[in-house]
Amino acid sequence: MAPFLDYIQFVLAPQMITGLSLGVAVVLVALGLTIIFGLLDVINMAHGEFYAMGAYLALALGAAGVNFWLLLVLVPLIMVPIGYVVERGLIQRVFNSPDRHVTTLLLTFGLGLVVEEGLKIVFGPNTQRPPTPISGAVEVLGVLLPNYRLFLIVVGVAIVAAVALVVNKTRYGAIVRAAAYDRNMAASLGVPVSRVFALTFAFGVALAALAGVLLAPIYSVFPTMGRDFIFLAFTVVIVGGMGSIMGAVIAGLVITQIQALASLIVSPVWGDPIVFSVMVLVLVMRPQGLFGRLGHA
Amino acid sequence: MTKTASVLTGLLAGTALAVSVHAASAADPIKIGVVTPLSGTYTPIGQQVRWGLELATKEVNAAGGVMGRQIELIFEDEEANPSVAVQKAEKLFEVQKVDFLTGTVNSGSTLAVGQTAERAKKLIATTVSFADSITTDKCSPNVFRVNARAGQQSTALAAWVAKQKPKAKVFFLGPDYEMGRSTVATFKKTIEGLGATSVGEVFAPLDSKDYTQYFGQLRQARPEVLYTSVAGNDTVRLLTQMQDFGLAKNLIVVGASGTVTSQNISAIGSAANGFATGSGYSTQIDTPENKKFVEAFKAANKADPDLYGADSYGLIYFFKAAVEKAQSTDTDKLRKAMEGLEWMTPQGKKTMRGGDHQAVQPMYVVQVNDGKFNIVGQVGGDEAIGPDECTRF
Repeated sequence: MAPFLDYIQFVLAPQMITGLSLGVAVVLVALGLTIIFGLLDVINMAHGEFYAMGAYLALALGAAGVNFWLLLVLVPLIMVPIGYVVERGLIQRVFNSPDRHVTTLLLTFGLGLVVEEGLKIVFGPNTQRPPTPISGAVEVLGVLLPNYRLFLIVVGVAIVAAVALVVNKTRYGAIVRAAAYDRNMAASLGVPVSRVFALTFAFGVALAALAGVLLAPIYSVFPTMGRDFIFLAFTVVIVGGMGSIMGAVIAGLVITQIQALASLIVSPVWGDPIVFSVMVLVLVMRPQGLFGRLGHA
Repeated sequence: MTKTASVLTGLLAGTALAVSVHAASAADPIKIGVVTPLSGTYTPIGQQVRWGLELATKEVNAAGGVMGRQIELIFEDEEANPSVAVQKAEKLFEVQKVDFLTGTVNSGSTLAVGQTAERAKKLIATTVSFADSITTDKCSPNVFRVNARAGQQSTALAAWVAKQKPKAKVFFLGPDYEMGRSTVATFKKTIEGLGATSVGEVFAPLDSKDYTQYFGQLRQARPEVLYTSVAGNDTVRLLTQMQDFGLAKNLIVVGASGTVTSQNISAIGSAANGFATGSGYSTQIDTPENKKFVEAFKAANKADPDLYGADSYGLIYFFKAAVEKAQSTDTDKLRKAMEGLEWMTPQGKKTMRGGDHQAVQPMYVVQVNDGKFNIVGQVGGDEAIGPDECTRF
């Protein structure tokens, strides 16, 4: 019995809890992605680079003496106008082309490359890391958990709940969903559709940057960090159902748990193949993902 | 008259030319080709190689050169690419007629250029490449290595660990590719030979996001020592996440020489404290030779020398000693002079082992404390060298 308890305490429980904290991180990154996809029908390949920009902004402002708690508000606010300009200046130009998916995908992919190289020029190629804002650790049932990871889980849940509330329960959310569902109808009812789209994009970008601020102390900051979570985040968005917040949350948590537990049995190198197999299976059995699209429910 | 005069002048000129050609061969510079990465990822290493070689060459030339001849360095960019290195080496041997060649960084380049040197019947030396194979199973009569190989680093580190924690329980964590697996295998063999037991090993994919997923296995194994050979940003994540999870307590963390470097040490911050690795050089070596070298290097290049700079500096003195012993730059005489040669370097006296062309040198264990590498242990050259496994010559 003792080795079994030992296994639960030292291996299984910590594995599931650290898996959960990774899951929350993935959901945070996927959240902006799924909103931009679900509402705007734009595949934003530059999402990872917006996440990186958030982390670098936090690093630079933090070094200039700005408090971490202020950064959580300030960095997303700075990114809103940037996202707005990107949508109006770049994405709007190709938005109405017949192959919107291909053109927006190529456009944002190129944008991502430019941002990544820009970060390399401005901040240098070496890894940097802001200090962890909350230090220390607590023991929960014999499992040691850093306070900052606990904080991240709590804040992550709060952010997801707040975003879901805004999109599904508020008047603004209703306007956005209406514009996404039928833009002509919404426009004829007086909704300023193109501004709504630009603001929605900016909102998604701000969420990516917020994830960057929150995750930088754990995963460190470097120019190519944008690629880090992007495949996992895309997988989560596809499995969860493109554009579904609920789907992204459930898919994010389930997939990271599968990965965490699988790495106990097989070599961790198999983590990514397992995740992508899940994605392929879902695409074969249920191409629209586990949950429907936002605004189309 | 004019005709006779011109014939006479011609004759005179001819004699003068003959005399000058004869005189030139003694005063002609000795040419050393340097094939080293001057562009690409390995540029910082190539930079150190260049600085070290240039500094020593300047000193030797100012003191009268080698047997009265000045040394001339001819640089070529190898781009850390073995096929480019071979082309550049061929050019240096055939067109520039260099007497000796050095500078290769990538172990693959060193092995490939070694074959080129065999065909050209010239000698080369590496001052950087770590791969054990260069002086073991893939050794060449035309290749010398003046720097310490991976096995020497590993032996020094293992000896230090065994002293800190006799019969330690050791856990291994390496990146899942050739370098990671071979470094772990080497260290495991060495430390088990000193009485330690292995309690587990994990190979993580390169660029792993979260090392916490391996912490469960690490905890369950209850090791006293962790050996890792991850590098770059992976080290940043591994060590800081271990610190966050309180895993670093009561655990000696050691690793490969590329695990914590000047490039990632500031991002790791205090989580790097206590990390130890084996190395062939440290600026802190407390000898008059090293102090003089560090000072001259800083004055010339406005930067600290590292391992590569120091070993490249030492190479010029190795070459000088060998040529003076052989009284020639002829390949066979030079090879004979180099085998068993003892010479002074910033690290102290080195000996070139005749059987496998591997330099024997004292090894150091350096430990990180607040962003600096401090020497915490030293292992004698004979202890760290290991057996001669070269069978080709």
